[in-house]
Amino acid sequence: MEPQLSWYLALSAILFTIGVTGVIIKRNVIAMFMCIEMMLNAVNLTFVAFASFFQDVTGQLFVFIVMTVAAAEAAVGLGIIIAIFRNRESLDVDDASILKL
Amino acid sequence: MLALLFILFAGMAIGCALAVVAQRNPLYSAISLIGVFISLACLYVTLAAPFIAAVQVIVYAGAIMVLVVFVIMLLNIEQEEHRRTRLKFLVPVAIGLSAVLIAEVAFILVTVQEFRVNQSATTSDVGLTHSIGASLFTRYLLPFEITSILLLMAIVGAMTLARRGGLLSSGARVVPGASVFPMSMVNPNAEPDDLRPVEADTTDEAARLLGVTRIRDYSDRD
Repeated sequence: MEPQLSWYLALSAILFTIGVTGVIIKRNVIAMFMCIEMMLNAVNLTFVAFASFFQDVTGQLFVFIVMTVAAAEAAVGLGIIIAIFRNRESLDVDDASILKL
Repeated sequence: MLALLFILFAGMAIGCALAVVAQRNPLYSAISLIGVFISLACLYVTLAAPFIAAVQVIVYAGAIMVLVVFVIMLLNIEQEEHRRTRLKFLVPVAIGLSAVLIAEVAFILVTVQEFRVNQSATTSDVGLTHSIGASLFTRYLLPFEITSILLLMAIVGAMTLARRGGLLSSGARVVPGASVFPMSMVNPNAEPDDLRPVEADTTDEAARLLGVTRIRDYSDRD
């Protein structure tokens, strides 16, 4: 039995759901950040699945660009995390409730 | 065979994803997240996308996670402390939203018609590097260039954020060792152009001469 398109979509939805749950539940900034990365990966899986099932390269190009955005996000996000930690001595998101470093 | 591989790697991905959320220690979360990335890369291989699978391993499991683990180690955070009560209501909210999304998954699995793959694609080159490169530099050149600008902005932004500010914060450490200050800087009663040197050998002495109150002591951290 071949894997169907809907299997991949279901797996992607499950991973995305777990990521959303983590972003809501976690209070550590870095853990939230990792959950966001997981959500991006879930979306990537749908792109690749559609690209493979429709025999179209566009989906894979979008995955490529999403990965670039994720890399940029990692650099800037971790810079923000370090700046917040330097000023507040804490990584708890509740401690950083104002938009000021 | 492919179905078996799918079930294996999907199970690995879901298990590792649950571990990312369940772990209290961010370092263990990061290692579980690497498991998610690796199993997704294996799924990409089964979807005939070898280039994306390689990039997934190199960029995600390699570069990004090294950066994350590096920051975790650098900040030396221990496990999350006890849960405060203020955000407790978020847990039922999260469970409710997850239930909605899982219901959507069930909806997809039950009602969406199976898409028929035309299996003439044995000679397909969709996922190969040269077809991706050809599309990237012809039809999708504009997104590619915009991506390069985005990376440039990310470099500048990360440098700006990570740089120490020019002002001496109250907890900042004066550079240890012999420091030489002009008399006009140390003594408020001196003439403004009095540049006779005043030497300080230790951090404390320099701080006392400059009138800097050392609010926080960092000496036990290193």
